[in-house]
Amino acid sequence: MTQTSADLLFELGTEELPAGPLSTMAAALGSSILEGLAHHGLTYASSKIFATPRRLAVLVKGMSLEAPDKTVEALGPPVTAARDKQGDWTPAALGFAKKQGVDVTDLTVINTSKGDRLGLCRTERGARAATVLPEVLANAVARIPVTKRMRWGRERHEFLRPVQWVVALLDKQVIDVVVMGINSGRHTLGHRFHHPEAISLESPATYEETLLAANVLADFGQRRERIRSQVIAIAEGLKANAVIDDALLDEVTGLVEWPVALQGSFDPAFLEVPAGAVISSMKEHQKYFHLVSDEGQLLPLFITIANIESHHPASVVAGNERVIRPRLSDAAFFFETDKTTPLADRSSRLEGIVFQQKLGSVADKTRRIVALSGWIADALGADSSVTQRAATLAKCDLVTDLVLEFPDLQGIAGAHYARHDCELEAVAAAVEEHYWPRFSGDQLPNSPEASAVALADRLDTLVGIFGIGQAPTGSKDPFALRRGALAVIRLLVNLDTPLTLSDLAERAAREYPNNLLAPDTASAVTEYTLERFRSWYDDKNIAVEVLRAVLATGITGPAEVDRRVAALNAFAGTDASIALAAANKRVANILSKSGETRAGKPMPDLFNEPAENQLYESLEGLKAVVADKISEGDYAAALSELASLQAPVDAFFENVMVNADDPAIRDNRHELLAALRNAFTGIADFALLGGGSQ
Amino acid sequence: MIPETFQELILRLQTFWGGHGCVVLQPLDMEVGAGTFHPATFLRAIGPENWNAAYVQPSRRPADGRYGENPNRLQHYYQFQVVMKPSPSNFQDLYLASLRELGLDTLQHDVRFVEDNWESPTLGAWGLGWEVWLNGMEVSQFTYFQQAGGLECFPVTGEITYGLERIAMYLQDVDSVYDLVWAKTPAGPVTYGDVFHQNEVEMSTYNFQEADTEALFKTFDFCEHEATRLVECKLPLPAYEHVMKASHAFNLLDARHAIGVTERQRYILRVRSLAKAAAQSYFESRAALGFPQADPDLRERALGDQS
Repeated sequence: MTQTSADLLFELGTEELPAGPLSTMAAALGSSILEGLAHHGLTYASSKIFATPRRLAVLVKGMSLEAPDKTVEALGPPVTAARDKQGDWTPAALGFAKKQGVDVTDLTVINTSKGDRLGLCRTERGARAATVLPEVLANAVARIPVTKRMRWGRERHEFLRPVQWVVALLDKQVIDVVVMGINSGRHTLGHRFHHPEAISLESPATYEETLLAANVLADFGQRRERIRSQVIAIAEGLKANAVIDDALLDEVTGLVEWPVALQGSFDPAFLEVPAGAVISSMKEHQKYFHLVSDEGQLLPLFITIANIESHHPASVVAGNERVIRPRLSDAAFFFETDKTTPLADRSSRLEGIVFQQKLGSVADKTRRIVALSGWIADALGADSSVTQRAATLAKCDLVTDLVLEFPDLQGIAGAHYARHDCELEAVAAAVEEHYWPRFSGDQLPNSPEASAVALADRLDTLVGIFGIGQAPTGSKDPFALRRGALAVIRLLVNLDTPLTLSDLAERAAREYPNNLLAPDTASAVTEYTLERFRSWYDDKNIAVEVLRAVLATGITGPAEVDRRVAALNAFAGTDASIALAAANKRVANILSKSGETRAGKPMPDLFNEPAENQLYESLEGLKAVVADKISEGDYAAALSELASLQAPVDAFFENVMVNADDPAIRDNRHELLAALRNAFTGIADFALLGGGSQ
Repeated sequence: MIPETFQELILRLQTFWGGHGCVVLQPLDMEVGAGTFHPATFLRAIGPENWNAAYVQPSRRPADGRYGENPNRLQHYYQFQVVMKPSPSNFQDLYLASLRELGLDTLQHDVRFVEDNWESPTLGAWGLGWEVWLNGMEVSQFTYFQQAGGLECFPVTGEITYGLERIAMYLQDVDSVYDLVWAKTPAGPVTYGDVFHQNEVEMSTYNFQEADTEALFKTFDFCEHEATRLVECKLPLPAYEHVMKASHAFNLLDARHAIGVTERQRYILRVRSLAKAAAQSYFESRAALGFPQADPDLRERALGDQS
């Protein structure tokens, strides 16, 4: 019996590829090969990809060696047009046969949905794997995404790093293909140091185990899990907890072919330095995993992943311990020397840091947020002197050596230095917390004073950048205004303050020199910021129309918006809500068609239907209590009062002809409807809510 | 066998690379920030001609001075530079062999090639490659030049830069650069500190406190003017010397904090445009000579592109 399927192995051997894009590249290579096979009608049982610093590989198992033959139909002219009146072949039929390269008598009749056609049925031989693979493989390599291309030697080819060897095997057979000027073969390389000799691969199926024997764990996922379990095992042995960041784990996995976790330690004296600096030194620069106690305290230990099974691991550990010493010494040195200059004395150096070319230096920004945060603090009833002191110091750590070296420590370093300078604890805490929330879902500042600085900082950036016409577009948001605006909303909702965005934005814009910002800046910022509510409520599964209905009333105080949205969201979907939304829509239509502005003051004398009186009385009866509830901010209660209007409203529309012939009566009915509308718009524009078909 | 002294380390590397086809040059007699500035790297990376060289380059980074008080930082230190053009396909293997030549057992120590993309804004040059880690410590830079002086590099120059002090500290197992044994003599060992400590103290003082900024600004302007003029005279090598001088004047001004943040960028751009002009001029001068050291096919193509 002839063989019908085989295994395919393709391996691209390279000089060390960057760790980051490794998996993506291997995945792209794999899917391109599979797509190529599918394109030729070749099937397979399973596939697997491999990625290490020195190789990207794809193994396809049970691949069909030949695609099934295909019947191909070529359609010619309709049968009716194939012969002329004399029964002779028409030029159309003859022409078609000629084009197909057959005699006209070889053509058959093919039934199609558009009638019988003259045509040709041909059996096309299925693609043979060995024939199409060179092209499939070459195309797949060409389609690997390369983040930054380079050339080497005197080659014109480009790849992420030089390509060294290529393996292309179909079972025991080498598929001849030239990739980046290199001829494919069956020779791969094992681990750079443990197994430097070339290895002749017998067949694709033994690829993984052959490499394993040559100290290469080729499967990225397996390698990552091996590292994880090694790290955990060491941490357990130390009765400590390893902090395994996924991004770091991926990166380390991309840096080794044969992971061996080793434990090292550093001088506990360095624990005096802010933990963030120590962790960053180990993680960013050295790719170490750090360890913490059960209480979350940093321990003077680390775990590093070597790429060899050293015959003397102690020298690898000693080397790694030696490397971080100067880094930690630098951090400790910066921390100590920074402390010799009071934070407050650094403010003049902020003149030299550009915040934004048109908007001035960070010192200018600081002056603005000192003023603005003081105003906000007063409005919040917070301590404005604490607030303004914190604002004065907030950016000073940007010119400390520690933050210049470890930018992630902004705020954290400032708080350390403020405490060292004997600033009030509330001030020191606010220096750190004014950066909060740093990302979506991050914690909020603990005090109103810190919140005031946080708000001032972000509002200043928002109005400044908007004001010079650099509002974010699409994915371009270099000043992270989207995140900043969302933070403003979260802060204001959390403070539960009546402060409105339009007042805040106007006040923030006033801190800039005259005529620097566009005149409509404050309203643009207000609108943009309110728009951030959308994503916020999206996450809470609150329909956007609820937000729209509330915002349509023109309020711009986030806390107020949030209270109304919460109440309205709970109310929306009830029968009363659906009915009242429909009624509001109807009323809005009627009133807008009439073209008149109505104050909502009907004259009871002009009522001549009981339903009119009934609705009027219901409205009058609710007025006071609804107003009270609204002024208390208890929108849920106000809405449940308004729900009682459902019956009189329904009765009104059922029994009353609004557009009466008598203009006085009609106008009075419009006034009544306007009164109905006014009863709702103190909370939201119900006409924008869903429900009801009218 | 591990080289016991700093000078032995240098001799080993010179012998090794000399044995692999490199012209062993002597250091450039000018102040430069790195071995890359040496015309044997920067200018030779331009154009189609082949070139293999190895040399020690004293490097000056005024802002890195620490008055001789930091055991790891120096304003004057040594790089060992290897350039091979075109980069051979066994370049990494040659490098690893050189480490073994220094007595480093690659089955004992963890040697790694970790992505590092190199760029010199002042030289208008960039390349891709790695920093080489020895047990987590960066001991070398390994770069495939893609562009120099704004010109595409073809064939590609492969560059290896060894951080000599770091490697020596490792080999000699000392924690301070000043404790390195430079030479063993009948009169006893001579240390790196014996040779250079006073220099670090005095030069740090000069770099940070005494350098005459007014004169340096003038020097910069003069070198800029001169480099431009010399390019016009079709004298790329003297022009390039003035680029290096301008660059060093800039580095000193930087150490003196005499240049503001935005100005700083402008100065870097000024050096870069000089470097580009010198590079272009050098290319043309080699073309006028018919690219004598190029492979015939590449020579013809490059000359063809020229005309």
